[in-house]
Amino acid sequence: MINDIFNILLPQMILALFIVVQLILSMVLSPRYFRYARLVSIVGIFLSILFLTTVQVEPQYFGFHNSIMSDSYTLLFDFVILVCGFFVALLTRNLVKTIKRNAYTFHAILLSAIFGAMNVVSANDFLTLFISVELLSFSTYFLIASSKGYYSKEASFKYLLTSTISSGVFLFGVSYLYGITGSINFSTIYEYIVNQESSILYSISAIMIVLGLISKLAVFPFANWIIDVYKGTESSILAFLSTVPKLAMFGIVCRLLVFPLGNSFELTFALALSTLVTAFWANTYAIRENNVKIILACSTAANCSYALLAASLVSVYNLSTVIFYLICYVFMNLSVFAFLNIYGDKNSQDVNSFKGLFHKNHGVVGAYAISILALAGFPITSGFISKIYLFTAIANSGLIFVPFLLILLLLTVYALFYYLKILLPLFAKFSKNDNGIEIKYVFSQKFVLIVTTVITVIIGIYPEKFIELCRFIAYNI
Amino acid sequence: MKILLSIPFLIFMPLVISILLLSPLFTNNEIIVRRFSKSIFTFHFLYSILMLACFSQANPYVSEIHFLGMDWVQSLGIKFVFKIDSVSMILSVLTSFVFLLSSIASKYNIRKNHKFYYAMLFLLMSAILGIFTSADMFLFFLFWELELIPAYFLISNWGEDGAKKAGIKFVLFTFFGSMIMLLGILLLHYYNFVSNGILSASFSDIMVSSLPGYIQNIIAICILIGFGVKLPIIPLHTWLPDAHTSAVTPVSMILAGILLKTGAYGIYRFNYLTLEDSFKVIAPVLAVFAIVNIIYTAFVAYAQKDIKRIVAYSSISNMGLILLGLCAYNSLGLSASVFHMVAHALITCGLFMVAGIVFLRCKTRNIDEICGIASNMPRLFGFATLIVLASVGIPLFAPFVSEILTMLGALNSDLSDVIKYIGVFSLPLLILSSCYMFKFLHNSFTGNLPDDFEKINDISVHEFIILAAVLFGLIIFGLYPNTLLNMVVGG
Repeated sequence: MINDIFNILLPQMILALFIVVQLILSMVLSPRYFRYARLVSIVGIFLSILFLTTVQVEPQYFGFHNSIMSDSYTLLFDFVILVCGFFVALLTRNLVKTIKRNAYTFHAILLSAIFGAMNVVSANDFLTLFISVELLSFSTYFLIASSKGYYSKEASFKYLLTSTISSGVFLFGVSYLYGITGSINFSTIYEYIVNQESSILYSISAIMIVLGLISKLAVFPFANWIIDVYKGTESSILAFLSTVPKLAMFGIVCRLLVFPLGNSFELTFALALSTLVTAFWANTYAIRENNVKIILACSTAANCSYALLAASLVSVYNLSTVIFYLICYVFMNLSVFAFLNIYGDKNSQDVNSFKGLFHKNHGVVGAYAISILALAGFPITSGFISKIYLFTAIANSGLIFVPFLLILLLLTVYALFYYLKILLPLFAKFSKNDNGIEIKYVFSQKFVLIVTTVITVIIGIYPEKFIELCRFIAYNI
Repeated sequence: MKILLSIPFLIFMPLVISILLLSPLFTNNEIIVRRFSKSIFTFHFLYSILMLACFSQANPYVSEIHFLGMDWVQSLGIKFVFKIDSVSMILSVLTSFVFLLSSIASKYNIRKNHKFYYAMLFLLMSAILGIFTSADMFLFFLFWELELIPAYFLISNWGEDGAKKAGIKFVLFTFFGSMIMLLGILLLHYYNFVSNGILSASFSDIMVSSLPGYIQNIIAICILIGFGVKLPIIPLHTWLPDAHTSAVTPVSMILAGILLKTGAYGIYRFNYLTLEDSFKVIAPVLAVFAIVNIIYTAFVAYAQKDIKRIVAYSSISNMGLILLGLCAYNSLGLSASVFHMVAHALITCGLFMVAGIVFLRCKTRNIDEICGIASNMPRLFGFATLIVLASVGIPLFAPFVSEILTMLGALNSDLSDVIKYIGVFSLPLLILSSCYMFKFLHNSFTGNLPDDFEKINDISVHEFIILAAVLFGLIIFGLYPNTLLNMVVGG
């Protein structure tokens, strides 16, 4: 099949079609049929994945007057985003039950968030990028606020405020860059920049653009939101929040760092500093916390900052390690949040209320434990090999960055402490007067948990093919 | 014959057994689980003895596993390759032996979760054998990390009060060390690639001679900190007494007998063999740390009241001796060091066993509260006396040989005068060990038997077998040290 704009946009169009279908169904069907909302979303995402596989990898394609592009890099990110969306949609069962009336609307918003994330990665100018980012953000506000209770509204509002401010910063940076280069198109900017001496104004605009974007990754200037947002959000939405926006933002930030913003040493320096601060803040903050969701929030921020440090020291090799790290990371996180979904959001999220759960159900809790071990970086899981691969990237970047690496490695010892804090109560002695938490799950929840854990273990045992894939992607950008 | 004797079988058999035990299909019957595990440990020991018997210096065992016709992680040059040379062979057999003893000792000490316990034992064994045999840095590091999980569970789940805390302390300390070690390994991997153009993490492919000196030293120090936590070298030792004391007896035997040796082996493998040039620079400093280990912990041990703490501190003291042997950087020092690893593993197993037996009978390990138990336990008294005598370095026992050889090795060292002076002083300092050892023996065994201890029994058959095996080993190696020494030196 020949690559044309229709073929390339087909996966997105399928998603858009299903958004419309969901909205129509929300008007037509009575709330009794709320169960089918999830099914419709799953079918939509599945079809989208199916049509994504028909898109040709080579050659690069630019469409709509260079405003979107498609190559192997965007295809990989689109694919992983869709797979994550697929798993998230599977996990929404409990949430949909509580909001029966709005089930179809909720799923329409979920699909539009995924749609936005896919567009973020394939954007080739700042206008498309901004619109896609806003689509992703606005959908996310509603997703966070969709669960019942006060805290979800608070979380949503905080996320809204932070995102708005960071959007402002982003637009400010873009305006400077437009002022310098006279264009908002990545390719044009790159052609202009590559022949120029790096100026301080260019560096300022580059730093502002990237800082505006990485607020979604919870990196230093805009990092605090993640604590409150994670605390108040339902676990299936967290599974979404900790994977899809992160993938989209990494997808675009890595591309920006390689092409239009790749000419600024100040940006590298600022990013390295801000990631170090984030890693330090997140890892030390989590030690004092006892709430599993907050600990996982810190873990997300810390993991993103490790990957961003490697990404900021731009090289093709580093890019491949970042992509591999992200792929490993999203599956670990999906698995963890799948377990929290099974555990239930109404139960106390304190680490001590997980006491003795392992003795109630070996399989499910064992899979969760494996994922936590993977996050901590223990062998036979993908966490081990992805951390090593990522750290080789930083070690290879020169002796100046060795102290950075040393700090990161020492911080992972902190990280191990809070992962143990989550992990150890699971195996604690089974007390008779426990809080009566039952582990009840349906097939879809267990499916997500087991499949993601198995992927984690498979990558851990046999990573070669995945690394090869990531290298291929990185060398073809 | 070569086909039968394969390294993957040696390493992965315990892993497979561990998975088998963890599966819900396996019976929960305590006796079956115990006897099954014991027979597997026996089989493994016999198998490793067979491997030792067929081992030849000229033709060490090498085995490389390919995944679908490729290296494990080709893009990083990480191979799944194992190699057993003479030191690995000795330590592998020792591992197998100590695990066998500890599984025999488990009968009276383990009261719950038998399946999980033995599964963790097998997993730990697999990880430790992996450390001793892997011929690739990252593979080594993988097993080094993997070992933490079973070790944590073994310490905390079956230990006494405070075992959880000690377990976490152990894990965090080791993880701290291994992260700094990882930095060293990453740098070594990268600079080896840059200067030699070989993308490989195998020990045989690493040629550090072309690296700048300061880089070599940075790498060597990073790696040394990692092993220094495990060995332990003095400022990094505080996890050890807690972990060894609060763990249950068989686990203490494994921790002191084998786990500490992984640190010494790591220094041998990385610093001694691979990063030779920087080891020559660091060795005099390291020798100072070694002598501090020997003296300081001997005094600390003398101040302890708890029998297990005394034994734990004496372990640190002995590890200082092993370190000193390595620092001498000659064949005499190396062979003494390896010999002392074996001798110390035997002694520490015996001493922890004695402490465990006393604790089971008297319900206390405080040497002020225990006295006069020799009248009720004459056989234990006999064994304890002999093992204590061996540990303080009386001739005819194995530690005597290694202590003398360590001193000779240090005196013959060509590296620096510092090592020679330390060698001169190291041996008299070992008298300190007799102070705390005889204090323990005298306080707890002699004197009048209090009424509380009237009903205690002498050792049972299981305990007799363990103590006799340990003593047998000590005497055999004391009388015929040459077989072992020649094996190391030949390598």
